[in-house]
Amino acid sequence: MVGTEYYVAISAVLFAIGAVGVLTRRSAIMLFLSVELMLNAANLAMVAFARSWSASGATTALNGQAAVFIVLAVAAAEVAVGLGILVAIFRNRVSTNVDELSEVRA
Amino acid sequence: MVGFVILAALLLAGGVGVVTLRQPVHAALALVGTLLALAVTYVTLDAHFLAAVQVIVYAGAIMVLFLFVIMLLNVGGERTADRLKWLKPAAWGSAAVTAVGLATVYFLQRQPLPGASVIDGALGGGGADRIGEVLFTDYLLAFQLVGVLLLTGVVAAVSLVQRAAPETRPQRERTSRVAPHGPDTEAGATPHLVGALGAGAAPSTGVASGAGATQGAAAAGDELAHGDH
Repeated sequence: MVGTEYYVAISAVLFAIGAVGVLTRRSAIMLFLSVELMLNAANLAMVAFARSWSASGATTALNGQAAVFIVLAVAAAEVAVGLGILVAIFRNRVSTNVDELSEVRA
Repeated sequence: MVGFVILAALLLAGGVGVVTLRQPVHAALALVGTLLALAVTYVTLDAHFLAAVQVIVYAGAIMVLFLFVIMLLNVGGERTADRLKWLKPAAWGSAAVTAVGLATVYFLQRQPLPGASVIDGALGGGGADRIGEVLFTDYLLAFQLVGVLLLTGVVAAVSLVQRAAPETRPQRERTSRVAPHGPDTEAGATPHLVGALGAGAAPSTGVASGAGATQGAAAAGDELAHGDH
């Protein structure tokens, strides 16, 4: 069996790549894709931790997997609302470039 | 270990593809590949139910929604960033430091895995029955709240995207409703969504959209303006 530390390392790298995407991309859709990548990286770490906590019983270990399930549902809701906002913005601005959406800034 | 190396290579290639590919469709497909590789990784971690949910919900529903929106909006590739030249190397550099740091910390305090029989006894292959037990006891409140959240998401998505059918409402009524928001929003003009939400009537001169979009936006703004009063 591959140790938990390798999975955590992969998870950390994926999270960092997602963070780079959020920082460098300027299309709102690409920001969403990068955020999805970060969420999945966190999920991978939680599933890996669930396996490494098996020695302390089923309930404790499965907490990690239950949390991943809830994160999945939250991500689905986030994507639905986020893409709805994106379509509404695009309908008014004909652009998804986040640099141009700076009206809230004073 | 060989399988893990293959999976890790797929995950990293997909992740780098998501961030670096210029076309949004290509990036979304790279993310689909990453998510499928992640589902296989879940299988190797004794989480079979989550692997199935990952494929169905993420690679199925969410990514289809993404691709649908990308193709609906017809978003092209973005031009290279030039406003902040130092941002890209700085982002990659700090990401490398963060990832290496996190991995190093965990490698330094790694603990041996419990035996295979212990893992199998505790996780039971991560089946739906075992996760369901936890979800409906310890996580019952979170589970219910997630249900409420999903309902809210459905309602919000529909109300954000909907366009009221133009023929369901007489033309005169629409003008009388939109007019109080400003002198420049007469019938047929496009009131900003922000403007209709109460930030005052923004000048609609900068918005150049087609006639069909204009009609729809006017109807949507009308809807919001009516709810506002």
